[in-house]
Amino acid sequence: MNVLEFDDIHRAYERGRDVLHGVSFGLAGGEVVGLLGKNGAGKTTLIRIAMGMLEAQRGSVRVFGLDPRGEPIEVKRRVGYVSEDQILPPFLTVREVVDLHRELFPTWDDGMAGSLATRFGLPPRARIAKLSKGQARQVALLCAVSHRPELLLLDEPAGGLDPAARREFLEASIDLLNEAGSTILFSSHYMTDVERMARRVVMIHQGNVLVDRGLDDLRENHCVALVPREAGASREALAGLEGCLGVRERSDALHAVFALDPGSSCALIERELGVSGVNCRNVGLEEMFIELVGGQS
Amino acid sequence: MLIVVDPQSGVPVYRQLMDQIKFHVASGLAKPGDELPSTRTLSAELGVNPMTISKAYSFLEREGVIERRPGRPLIVSGVAPDEFRSRKIDQLREGLRPAVTVARQLGVQRSEAVRIFEEMFDDAADDPDRGTEEGTE
Repeated sequence: MNVLEFDDIHRAYERGRDVLHGVSFGLAGGEVVGLLGKNGAGKTTLIRIAMGMLEAQRGSVRVFGLDPRGEPIEVKRRVGYVSEDQILPPFLTVREVVDLHRELFPTWDDGMAGSLATRFGLPPRARIAKLSKGQARQVALLCAVSHRPELLLLDEPAGGLDPAARREFLEASIDLLNEAGSTILFSSHYMTDVERMARRVVMIHQGNVLVDRGLDDLRENHCVALVPREAGASREALAGLEGCLGVRERSDALHAVFALDPGSSCALIERELGVSGVNCRNVGLEEMFIELVGGQS
Repeated sequence: MLIVVDPQSGVPVYRQLMDQIKFHVASGLAKPGDELPSTRTLSAELGVNPMTISKAYSFLEREGVIERRPGRPLIVSGVAPDEFRSRKIDQLREGLRPAVTVARQLGVQRSEAVRIFEEMFDDAADDPDRGTEEGTE
């Protein structure tokens, strides 16, 4: 059984305008999955549905096989959650917030909470309102992971953090992975963080899952083909080839993403379209993201 | 053993790890019997998912570059001198491949490319920081 399972999730905020339009994927135990998509693609909506904070209008979500809206306490005890706009009670001190969480979670680990507080250099007597944005996020992370959750849901956890704080956050998450083998779903616009943390990426675009692949597979068996304008291939012909995930028109060339290695992609394009001068190469996640979601709208 | 990861490169992280460890071994910087950092340690140091480290280690084990011993740290495998030499040549081939591609794309003649390689090879030997004879048979 998967730790987290989305099945045909639909959700709209306005009638007739689905943000999520039949999203399905699951996370097995110990998997770390990066959730990617443009702003407004529905990443936050999806994570909130998993937390039971929002309800899907069609489809179902299961966390440890349970319905997060039907059994919220059982689910929340085993889940950690951090979001970009999470609000902690501003009038409480760091220690009071931590104490509050200790009360809520039977599996709370004081050793872990203590070592994270030291690592982040959090002042225990400071009020939340007085903390920097980065420190407040670190308190949220500490509270989200110190009960050793089996599933961690991170919604753009590093948004607005400076590079050093982001790295601390990443390393703390990796520690948790090492210590507890937690399953993690995290959304991020920082592709380098995704490359470090995730083993698999799910990209949501226009309400659907556009890509769901192992990161290494995406790197090795996907490529971007640059087809020069003067070769005379049309966008439609290129998009119609097997394995083509998207085409983007640029001034001097068509850029196409293929779910094939570079050699096979070049051979396929040159053979099927009778063109030459095609250049195919493996690219990093950031470039892949731009080529894919830039080529779909 | 110095290992760095560049998450923006087009090469998957596990490949980067494998390439660097192989290079350390082929260059003699890592010697047979040397211990490798545990998956946990390396994962924490590099800020990389531990499964990625495991994947690199498993492939290296399969290729005979490193050895797993129950309950103890991984070590660099012992190799026969012939094997050691052929690994060096493999590393060199990998390193030269992009240069060959560039030479062909630029339409540089074979003889000229070879001459440039020889020139650069000799220049590097004159540089006191590089091209020491250490590790050659």
